[in-house]
Amino acid sequence: MKKHTRIKTGISVVLVLAVFLGLFAFATRLLEPKYAETLTEGSMISQYYEEAGGHEVIFVGDCEVYANFSPMELYRQVGITAYVRGTPQQLIWQSYYVLKETFRYEIPKVAVLNVNSMRYSEPVSEAYNRLTIDRMRWSEEKVEIIKASMTEEENFWSYVFPILRYHSRFDELTSEDIEYLLHDEYSTFNGYQMNKEVRPVDTLPTERMLADYTFEDIDYDYLDRIRELCEENGVTLVLVKAPSVYPYWYDEYDAQIEDYAEEYGLDFYNFLDVVEEIGIDYTTDTYDEGLHLNLSGGTKLSTYFVQILSEKYDLTNYQTDEKVSAIYDEKLAQYDAAAAE
Amino acid sequence: MVQILILLVGLLLYAVYGSAGLAGLIWLLAAALIIWLAGLALLRCRWLFWPLIVVSAAPLVLMRLQPVTGFSLLAPLGVSYFTLQMISYVVDVRKEKYPPEKSFLTFALYLTYFPHLIQGSIESFDHMKTALAEQEFSWDGLSAGAIRMVWGAFKMLMISVRASVVLATISASPEEYCGAYALFAMILYSVRLYADFSGCMDIVLGVSQVLGLRLSENFDAPYYSQTVAEFWRRWHMTLGTWLRNYIYIPLGGNRKGKLRKVINLIITFLVSGFWHGFHYILWGLFNGIFVALGNGLRTKFKAFNRLLTFLIISVLWSFFIWPDTFTALGSIGSLFTTFNYGALAANILSLGLGAADWIVFLCATVLLWVYDGNKERFKNVFTGSAPAMRLAVVGALGLLALVFGMYGIGFEAEQFIYSSF
Repeated sequence: MKKHTRIKTGISVVLVLAVFLGLFAFATRLLEPKYAETLTEGSMISQYYEEAGGHEVIFVGDCEVYANFSPMELYRQVGITAYVRGTPQQLIWQSYYVLKETFRYEIPKVAVLNVNSMRYSEPVSEAYNRLTIDRMRWSEEKVEIIKASMTEEENFWSYVFPILRYHSRFDELTSEDIEYLLHDEYSTFNGYQMNKEVRPVDTLPTERMLADYTFEDIDYDYLDRIRELCEENGVTLVLVKAPSVYPYWYDEYDAQIEDYAEEYGLDFYNFLDVVEEIGIDYTTDTYDEGLHLNLSGGTKLSTYFVQILSEKYDLTNYQTDEKVSAIYDEKLAQYDAAAAE
Repeated sequence: MVQILILLVGLLLYAVYGSAGLAGLIWLLAAALIIWLAGLALLRCRWLFWPLIVVSAAPLVLMRLQPVTGFSLLAPLGVSYFTLQMISYVVDVRKEKYPPEKSFLTFALYLTYFPHLIQGSIESFDHMKTALAEQEFSWDGLSAGAIRMVWGAFKMLMISVRASVVLATISASPEEYCGAYALFAMILYSVRLYADFSGCMDIVLGVSQVLGLRLSENFDAPYYSQTVAEFWRRWHMTLGTWLRNYIYIPLGGNRKGKLRKVINLIITFLVSGFWHGFHYILWGLFNGIFVALGNGLRTKFKAFNRLLTFLIISVLWSFFIWPDTFTALGSIGSLFTTFNYGALAANILSLGLGAADWIVFLCATVLLWVYDGNKERFKNVFTGSAPAMRLAVVGALGLLALVFGMYGIGFEAEQFIYSSF
């Protein structure tokens, strides 16, 4: 083969390869869920990357953090900069890897962990895994979180190449998939998912008796890792249990967390014990019959918690910082506008 | 060196993925060693011939007789295929078609070459030895093999798996789904089995091409056949060749008059049925009868002949769709007693596939049909074209299979249908 023919062949092979890689990337983007208008919880994890840095408080945990704690209220009241890195059904090992990943971008003063996830010792469902993991940036933490979270039916490669998981959506594509093909849309306020609906508690779910209330070793193992990670980075770890009328947080659970907190000198706030003091009214402050708080309830809880945070953890009031306040004033305006809609 | 590598990788895969694990591997290697050693002595000790045939065939025969005897035997992966290869080797050496193989490595590779243990092809030793001797890596082999593998996967993921969803629904309730549904299942099974089996063969032959080995083809556009006899010359060709060489011709073939030819054909197809399993003996008998009919049903209209052959073959696949002979016969019978075509048309989207899946299935099936009808033309384009063109073919087929194929959560990786035989 002559030299120029070889070059021509090489160029055409590279061009064809590039075209197919492009088509592959396009097909992947088209078929994967956009999490823009439906299942917006799936984009929470990636919204952070746009706003990473400068937060003194980071929340990690499940829906009980992103539905109940509003960083906008923390800033409005005492100028605390906070971000909620919560995702649906975030398991304790997921909280660990999410927090570890967060520390790549910034080291906060306080990390708040909602301990509800201590109840689970096994991956719960693929759907929840996807909402937490799909949009994470590739890093050592993402690899580890996938390995730790996969259910039996899942396959690691389907996280690397999401088309392997979402290819069957070819007949389910909607206008959302086209509209958000080239850009992402985010809907939280520093990770807080605002919900203004009011659906009061109608009937209380019955308490389920368990054979054994002891947290599993794996939960303690990851709680230890979270604690050690915070210690290594000079971050104060605070444990919380968000309020909910669902009777799934037992006294036995509480006692174990209290013991753990005492043993390692951590603060633990169980807001279930102070619902009245916070002023939560389950006829007006919940959007799903008491499982989560709505905007009104979240504001009350955040107002209560901000006093604790500001009094105990030496956090900065950024309201006087021109640069930060410019950003947060704009965010607050959007937040208030959304609340008023 | 390459042979040793192929052998070792094959053995490793066999031990890991073979249904009987390490025990199966030991069985396979022990069988290879016995047949190889006996083969070396066969020309001096001719009395060894029948004992060797019995030893080779016994495990498979015992397995196939299990429904009658109740005696079950752990079946190592590919037992049907290496049994036939062992028998062909013993017979050929005995007939001095070629000398016994002196190298155990070559013989072991002949029997244990992993890709063809799954669904064939059933190679004769001399052909495999030639292929091994001529083995060489080349870019042409690599690209042609890659195209072939992707094409095989395309057929399986786009056609076979989709058809299997509907077939699972229909075959699970033979009483509910009879008449038109049964006919629909038979036609669908024809398409599915072909896409699956030939798809697997494409992967086997593609892997072999990549490794620089040229193995025998197993299909030659069989649904373009105009008679059942022609179909069996173009379907599972290596099994057909084996049956012709080691059953039909030794029985006398067509050399002893018309009646003996018919009897020999029927016996050959009965053996073929038995090779598939005890339940398939009747299927073998019917096929034998239709093959014996030869051109008896052929008209001057090509399209009609093809359609008739396709329908006959499809109806006979009933024995593969329904797990017992009576259900299969009942379903065939229902074609003439239940005319629920309206119900089938109305319920076609409630059998497990939605409209989009049916469209993908039909498009892929038409593509397969067009490819089969123009195979040589396609082959020339693929093998004679520039590397970029070949890459484009692989990319296009791969991307289509990746997006429109049926796989992943909810769809277990389908076992190749024919690997159970």
